[in-house]
Amino acid sequence: MDKTQHLSMDDLLALRDGEGSASSRSHVDACDECRCELERLYQIQARLRAMPTFSPPRDIWRRIARSVGRRRLRRRLSYGAIGLAAAAALTAVVVLRGSSTMGSEQSPDAWIAEATSPDMGPSIRRSRQLESILQANRPGQRVYDAPTALAVSVLEDRIVLLDQMLSEVRIGGADRAVMVGLWDERVATLEKLVGLQAVQEDRVWR
Amino acid sequence: MKSDALVLENAQVARARAGDLEALEAVYRAFRAPVYNLGRRMCGNEEDAEDVLQETFLEVCRSIRRFRGDGSLWSWVRQVAVSKALMLLRRERGRAGRSLDGGLIPPDSLGKSPPEPTAPIDLESALGRLSPVTRAVLWLHDVEGYTHEEIGEMMGGSTSFSKSQLSRAHKRLREWLD
Repeated sequence: MDKTQHLSMDDLLALRDGEGSASSRSHVDACDECRCELERLYQIQARLRAMPTFSPPRDIWRRIARSVGRRRLRRRLSYGAIGLAAAAALTAVVVLRGSSTMGSEQSPDAWIAEATSPDMGPSIRRSRQLESILQANRPGQRVYDAPTALAVSVLEDRIVLLDQMLSEVRIGGADRAVMVGLWDERVATLEKLVGLQAVQEDRVWR
Repeated sequence: MKSDALVLENAQVARARAGDLEALEAVYRAFRAPVYNLGRRMCGNEEDAEDVLQETFLEVCRSIRRFRGDGSLWSWVRQVAVSKALMLLRRERGRAGRSLDGGLIPPDSLGKSPPEPTAPIDLESALGRLSPVTRAVLWLHDVEGYTHEEIGEMMGGSTSFSKSQLSRAHKRLREWLD
């Protein structure tokens, strides 16, 4: 290294990062100006690392959770009614097994009993039919005009919420009439979703 | 960063990997601040940082089951955040019709670069004057500790691309800082 020529920025950064050559190191040892520049680079790095932090916005998680919920619903719809029944049965089993407040474990038979009961069975079967229709129409692959897209989004959110409420009701062992009401509302919401798709059939961009 | 070890239990991470929304929210709460700050520093503004935060955690929710647990969860989340921030920078560069090669300050709406400062400026202002790509390389290398090889790979460039951007950043800071 020519002692009359100062180190380049690349050389100084390599030295700072512990990757400099022996000749660069010996130059810095002998050159006050380059040693000063190297010290300055250390200081800038320290100042960068000590820069103040920003507070993140507060309400982002709700948006993320809603989007995740919608995506899960779409996946479930596209897997069809059998997938839904299996997922719901699994949820019921997991929920019931995980719940110490229930005092007893329930098998998938509990779900089957629910699905075939006279008060909830018809709504559960209708839910499955409607989801089959939605699955056949492949909602995830459609593009709607903005108002319809918003309505579809609201209805899908509502179904996600109803599913969450059904899970919570099972955990809490709420009144059976509440569950019947939730299943009825789920059917009504799915009916609206299917109806919306039928009305939009001619206006859909594929 | 140790916050994941301090804040998140292994069981919570396992539940998050299984798709449990409550556990995923715990992951979000543990890492939202560093992710937001990374986005803010790399992109240079609030709106883009918010996009980075949202896109990162949407991706985390989608892909956390693929996190194998052989490194820290923070390293994995940070990697997702960096790639989201770089994607955003690429999109904006593409929109402006410029390649991902750095350069100086982004031109204003009239296509003119802001004038050079006539007096020393502080570090915050100096960072804001660097081009997004140069600033991103500076931040990833000098603060986050990524190597030039890693940065080159993440940015679709070479090791020397990363080194030259870092060198450019420090030359500019040398001129501008008090």
